Formats: sequence, structure tokens, C-alpha cells
Amino acid sequence: MIRRRHVFAIVRHALLLAWTLVVLFPIGWMVMTSFKDAGDWVSWPARWVPFVDFEPTLMNYRQIFHFGDTGALRREQTEQAYNIWKATFDSVVIVTVASVVSLLLGSTLAYAISRFRTGGPNYPYTVLTIRMLPPIVVAIPLLIYYASLPEAFTWLLGRRVEFFDTYYGLTLLYIVTTLPYVIWMMLAFIDEVPRELEHAARLMGASRLATIRKVVFPLVASGMAVTLLFVFILNWSEFLLALTLSQPKVLTLPVLLNKFQSAVEGRLYGPQAAIGTVVTIPVVVLGFLIQKHLVKGFSFGMIRR
Amino acid sequence: MAESRGPAPAGPPSRSRLGRWLERERVFRILPLIPVQALVLALLFVPMVLTVYISLLRWRITRGFWTEAPWGGVSNFLDALTDEGFFDAVGRTFLFAGGAVVLELALGFGLALLTYQSFRGRRFYFTVFLIPMMIIPVVVGYDFSMLLIDTGPLNAVLSALTGLDVRVRWLSEYRAAQVAVILADVWQWTSLTFLIFVSGLAALPRDPIKAARVMGATRWQVFRHVELPLLKPVIVIAVVIRTMEALKIFDMPMLLTQGGPGNATETISIYLWRNAWIFNKISYAAASSLILLVVFTVLIYLSIWLLRRERRQLEAETAR
Repeated sequence: MIRRRHVFAIVRHALLLAWTLVVLFPIGWMVMTSFKDAGDWVSWPARWVPFVDFEPTLMNYRQIFHFGDTGALRREQTEQAYNIWKATFDSVVIVTVASVVSLLLGSTLAYAISRFRTGGPNYPYTVLTIRMLPPIVVAIPLLIYYASLPEAFTWLLGRRVEFFDTYYGLTLLYIVTTLPYVIWMMLAFIDEVPRELEHAARLMGASRLATIRKVVFPLVASGMAVTLLFVFILNWSEFLLALTLSQPKVLTLPVLLNKFQSAVEGRLYGPQAAIGTVVTIPVVVLGFLIQKHLVKGFSFGMIRR
Repeated sequence: MAESRGPAPAGPPSRSRLGRWLERERVFRILPLIPVQALVLALLFVPMVLTVYISLLRWRITRGFWTEAPWGGVSNFLDALTDEGFFDAVGRTFLFAGGAVVLELALGFGLALLTYQSFRGRRFYFTVFLIPMMIIPVVVGYDFSMLLIDTGPLNAVLSALTGLDVRVRWLSEYRAAQVAVILADVWQWTSLTFLIFVSGLAALPRDPIKAARVMGATRWQVFRHVELPLLKPVIVIAVVIRTMEALKIFDMPMLLTQGGPGNATETISIYLWRNAWIFNKISYAAASSLILLVVFTVLIYLSIWLLRRERRQLEAETAR
């Protein structure tokens, strides 16, 4: 029996290690490429071992952040394409505002749904359709809409209001597309708050608002934090809508990364890898912060553990 | 739940007008709904209605504003429905989604079975396996486009493993490119199916399993006749969620191959994107979007029906 258990343990570790390698290989390669100089990006045979096969360099990071001497040859490309500071700023502003607003609207609605069945029993499921629709189906109507709105505003207010390629144009969309997640996650958290607590507070003479502020909110605050981070990650990764409805003035990080991809004049793997690494780190950190709740998020709170 | 739903006890009489207004239940019930509904109406509903109108025109974005575009009737819809490219793209999307989801479920389930009990090193594996789904899909697409170049590391590893000189042209050969897109998707989203299954397995009620063991069932019988049926809701939820997400696939083929070579990886999202932004055939893209909208409405209804059923089942299980 003991033998069999040992064999099982070995097989288990072998299989799990194999998948570990599969998972880590692409990540490792990207991080490594970000420290390679131009000659080492693509080579056959590939250069694997730092300091032996290739000399690690910070050149790519210097380039994307416009930091220090980036070499005369690539300066021109540097200046037109890699505006990582601007893209980071755009991403942070849009994603933060959208996530916070979405959280506020979504949680108040989730509270109303949980306590008063607002919208009827089907409402949460209706909201889900927003998330299940492929973004492209919405993107084309939105393109038409955003192109038409300025004309409509001119006609109505006598003033042109642009939506295409603006901060609020994209922010508004991100609010709507993440609302289903907020509503469902917050429903899961709010449902866990016992109603008896609220009733007790009400009996002791607290107003509705005070009950929410002093009884409900402290109990769901951590849930709200988790939801906020989850939605932040989703928005941070969003690509199709940003590619379609912003650009070139407003440019988020995923769109920036895509720009290099379609570059005709030789791919710049190194700087791209550096951007990829830089963009990924904050999300992975946030992801691990809310690791326990990721399942809840991705399954719309249906799988709660 | 029912007993606590009774009439809420009245709060204190408030002095201010706003306070009294906020004290009403109706305000609390309706107020939060207004901004959300307004947003949905303004950003999803109105554009859709507008799109119906545009789809009946012959508008290309390069030719002035749509108010000047000529009437086209249902010609765009007929064009889409008779265009092989459209149907090919739809078929391809379902093929990618199907292939990727099957692999993700199988791998995720296998890995979950190996990891859900505690053993030394579990924490490490668990942490590593979760990383891919936290990485931005665009970065994954870019990363794979680098791994998969002809003289890239994947071919190098395959060569080393097989002892042959493997030179799969992942990004420029028709079939290989399709496999590449599925591989990238599987690499990223197996982490999610894994996570869902681990959570599901860990949350299984212990009593029925113990009872079956006591009554002399083998490990396999317990798994097949007790655990698997209990796990069914979680499996269905995973299938539905992953399938609906996989059908949206856009980022990876876009970053890997821009839909190419030829149209090998042209999913429905890329097909529409190309029509709208490369060929500027907005009216045509609008009509195709609407056709897709109908298709997806059916799919979504089916998904939601399944999700609702399984969710009820899941709640009954945890209540037990």
C-alpha cells in the first residue's frame, strides 16, 4: 500500500510540475526577452541562460520609459511609438474612474435587489446579457452612435460634444460593461449580511441611510474592495472597445501594445516584452490580493466558497 | 428568508424633507435603478436602434455622414447571409471556442483533481496555476506571437524534446495558426477552469461521500456516483461561462496573426472588425452585427436558463 501511495505522489508531482513548466515558460521567456539586447531577441539556437548566453541589459526599459541614453539609432522610433507614460496615464484614469463609478452604482443596485427585489426576480439575469454579448456586436453600433452624437448635440444644444476618442466616451462604456460583475458579486456579498441586523437597527430608531452606513456598509466593505479590484483588472485588460472607440488621442496600454504588433518595420520584441512585463505586474499583484474571491467574480458570484 | 421579508419596522420621523423622502421604501427600491437603466438605455439600447436604421442604408464611413447615405433596404442583410466569409467566420469561431473549451475543461478538471486535497507543495502549484488568467489577454497574445516565431523558443523546445529539427511555421501556416490561437487560449484560461473546479471540489458536502465510503464503495464508485453528480452544477457553470467568453475571442488572434494567414484565424469578431475598420463597410458590418445579435440572444437565453437551473441546484446542495 505504501508503495502505491509513493508512486501516486511521484506521478502527481510529475504531472503538476509539467504544467508548472507550461505555465511559467511563456512568462519566463517574456521577462527574459525584456532584458535582452536587439541581437538576442530572435536567434537560432535560442539564448536561454542569462550572463552565459546573453548579457542582460536594461536598454528596453530605458527605451520605453525614455530614461537615460536610449541609443541614437532607435531614438526616432522611440519618440513616435512608445509613449508608455501617456498610455499608462490614460489607462489609470479611465480604468479607475470607471471602476469606482461602476462599483457605486452597482452596489447600491445590488442592495436594492437583495432587500427589495428591485426590477423583479429576472432582473439580475437580464443584466448578465450585457456581459455575454460579444463586444464586437456592441462596438459597431457604438461607433455609429459616437459618430452621430456630436451632430445630435449640435442640433440640440448648438454645441458640439465629442464622444469618439475621449476619456469619458470610453469611461462610460467601461462602467456599463462591468456593471453585471459588480451587481452579481455584490449580491453575493450583501446576501450574506443577515437582515436581522438591519431590522434591529431600524427598531432602535436608525434611519434607512444610517442603517446602511453603520450596519451594512462595514460588513460589505471588504467585499466592495474585492469587487473594485476585480473590475479594475477587467477594465485594465479590455482591448476591443479601446481599440475601436479611442485612439489615437486617448490610448490605453493594451492598444499601445497592439501598435507594435502591426508595426511593419521590423518587430521590436525587446521593448514590447518590457511593456508586457510592466503592464502585467500590477494586475498579477492585484489578482493575488483577491485570489480567494476570483472564483466568485468570474462565476458571477454563483460559485461562492 | 420569507419571515424576515415582512414589513420593515418604521424608523424615526425625520425632520428634514430629504430625510423623510429617503425614508420611503419606494425611493430605496427605485432610486438605484435609475442611473443604471439610464446608462444601459443611452449606451446600449439607443445605439442598437440606430444600428437597425444604419443597416438599411449603404453607408461607408469614407463617404460623408450617414444622413447623406443612400437607402439600401435589406440588401446588407442579404449580402451577409450569402457571404461565405461571414459563415466561415462564424463556424471558425465556434470551432475555436469548442476546441479551446473542451481542452480547458479537461486539463482544468485533471489538475483540480490532483490539487484539491492537501499535500506538500499544494500551495506552490495552486499559486502558479492561477497566474495565466491574471495576465492581460493582449500580453498573452503578444507573448505567444514571440514564442511561436519560426526560429522561436517553442520550436527549439520541441526540437530538443523530439530530437528532430522541428520548424513548425506556427504563424504563417493555415492549420498551425489555428492551433496556435487555441493553444494561447488554453494556456490562459485553463487557470480559470482549474480554479472553478478546485472550488467546486473543495465545497462538496462531506456527508454523502463518507456515507458511500462506509457502505463499501470504492474510490472510483464514490467519484462516479456521488462526487460527479454533486459537481454537475459547477461543471455546467464552467462550461457556460467559458463558452460564452471563448466565443468573444478577439485579442489573441488579433495579436498573433491579425486574423491571418489568409483568413485562417479570422473569428467573427475579427471579421466584423475588418469590415468596419479596414474596409469601412459600416452598414454591412451593422447588418452582420444585428444578425449576430439574434444568434447570440438565443445562445444567451439558453446559457442563462442553464445558469439559473444549476445555481438553484448549487444552493440546494450548500443548504443541505
